[in-house]
Amino acid sequence: MRRFTRASAARNEASGRDGLSRGVSFLLTRTPLGSLVGWVARVPASVHTKLLAAFLVITALFIAMAAVSLDTIARTAQQSRKMHEAHERVEWSQQIDHALARQMHFTALALLLRDEASVARILRENNRFNGTLARREVVGTEEERDLIQQIRGRQDGVMNAVADIANAIRDGKLDEARAELLGRQERAYEEIEALVARLVEVENRYMLDLKQAVETANFRSIVLTACFAGAAIALALLCGFVISWSCLLPLRKAQEFLGAVSAGDFTATITVPNRDEFGAQAARLNRMSGELGRLMDEQQRAAASLRALNTSLERASRAKSEFLANMSHELRTPMNAILGFTEMLRDGLYGDVPDELKEPLADIHTNGRHLLGLINDVLDLSKIEAGRMDLTLQEYAVQDVVDSVRVSLRSLALERGLEFATKVPPELPIAYGDAKRITQCLMNLAGNALKFTRQGRVEIAVELQGDELIYRVADTGIGISRDELGKVFDEFRQADAAVTREFGGTGLGLSITKRFIEMHGGRIWVESEPGEGSTFWFAVPLRVEVAA
Amino acid sequence: MRDATVLYVEDNEYNRKIVRQLLMRTSYRLREAVDGEAALGMVREERPDLILMDVQLPKMSGLDVTRALRGDPATADVPIIVVTSFALSGDEQRAMAAGASAYIAKPYSPRDLLALIHTFLAER
Repeated sequence: MRRFTRASAARNEASGRDGLSRGVSFLLTRTPLGSLVGWVARVPASVHTKLLAAFLVITALFIAMAAVSLDTIARTAQQSRKMHEAHERVEWSQQIDHALARQMHFTALALLLRDEASVARILRENNRFNGTLARREVVGTEEERDLIQQIRGRQDGVMNAVADIANAIRDGKLDEARAELLGRQERAYEEIEALVARLVEVENRYMLDLKQAVETANFRSIVLTACFAGAAIALALLCGFVISWSCLLPLRKAQEFLGAVSAGDFTATITVPNRDEFGAQAARLNRMSGELGRLMDEQQRAAASLRALNTSLERASRAKSEFLANMSHELRTPMNAILGFTEMLRDGLYGDVPDELKEPLADIHTNGRHLLGLINDVLDLSKIEAGRMDLTLQEYAVQDVVDSVRVSLRSLALERGLEFATKVPPELPIAYGDAKRITQCLMNLAGNALKFTRQGRVEIAVELQGDELIYRVADTGIGISRDELGKVFDEFRQADAAVTREFGGTGLGLSITKRFIEMHGGRIWVESEPGEGSTFWFAVPLRVEVAA
Repeated sequence: MRDATVLYVEDNEYNRKIVRQLLMRTSYRLREAVDGEAALGMVREERPDLILMDVQLPKMSGLDVTRALRGDPATADVPIIVVTSFALSGDEQRAMAAGASAYIAKPYSPRDLLALIHTFLAER
């Protein structure tokens, strides 16, 4: 049980860190680097400024390192020059030694050969000795100059001895000269040799010191350069780590946040310590999710109220349909009785009808049928409005439709003394549509034509144009004024009240006709000249497409 | 051959009266039912030669009664004329689908109804 808990805790921690590698996670949580990252994030400066500052610090370190290196190189050059000079001085000292040896050699030669010419050679070597000594003296230290003074003192003594030897050779006093040579000159030469050796030793000591100083300086320079390079690299790594994680952490949080938001969680918020661009971005993201959440709430509320409205509308629509069905039945049942009894009376089912009752019975029947027509119109329009009117599509012959209208209206035409003609081409193909509704439309138009015509004729004609059936109902009636022409298909519209009084009607027939034609995918239009007559057309597809 | 029996199923007294008076002068025997359930009982009791069936009836609709009768082998071949109220489009199709032999819309002309009844009973 405990193991499970620990495992799940570890999982939580891992998922909380959003897939950070274990190393980075350790650095951020267990070392001061984490708080440093937080501190950098809280610095109120742009990421650009932070990066620039880090870059400048690292650059400064590299410049310092370069300065130290240059200084070291300059020092080394100086030391090697000094070394070179020291070598030169040693060489000169050796030349002194050499010149001294040659002097001794020539002096010995002069004594041996008893030759004055050798004395001149001694003098030449002496000059060279003095020259080298002078050059050596100029570059020497105080200690060396002191030694050189002593050498010069001894050399003067040597030269005196040489002069004496030369004189002795000229005077032929060879034994005396030999004694001089062995005595004075030999001793002086030995002293000079010792002094030169001391000079070389001083120089060697100096060179040793110099060598040690160069080694020390080199070591110091290597250490310094290594320190600067190490510091620069460490600082670069540190700045890189800290600055990049001060940007990456809010970026990861933003990613997590956007993941939650895109998954539909608009309550998600993001908290970052940053006071830079990422801080501003986090604030904007929070505003965004807040706004999305608000919109979501609004949308859900709207959807809920729409659902409720839809349900109540569906209920209302169902109630309306039921009401219509009931109403239709309730109205037709008494109408059936009224018209049925009247018809049976007129048919003499109850015995012969007295002449004086025949007319009122006919009136009852006519008005009953009229009332039925009104009821049918109102119910049809209500059904259309409620969206409960469906077409019953089937094959039909246009001729049958026109014939049934002619048969129904023949007596009315006769009654009004009007010519009533129908014209259907015999070769018309079988049509497909709601024959009952087409009949009703044609009946409405022809009925109106008969009603609004006092004399002349009414004609129904049909023709096929392409795949459209064009029905035409023309009359020579009172016509419709230009103003009223656009409104004849509106509900409860008749040209004017006087017309209603004279010709009757509800004004529903044309609007129902228009609706039925449109349900067939057709159109209806009218042309009229007041006093001349009107012509109504309607066009329906020969074969009506079944609505999807 | 006995006189033909016509069963009229209709809840409205006046409409029943029309048919009653219409058939009075014929040789047909009229029986009347005021709702669907009563109609079913009467048909099982005595098989009529023709049924006039109103659609909107109390307790059980005329179409349900028609279906029930068509489902019973004993009454499956009784001619049924359904009287529709033309309330919603498709009433006729629904009547024919339920098994009606013919339909007539309310308000009907008594003359036409009688002619229709004659057609069915003459075939007998």
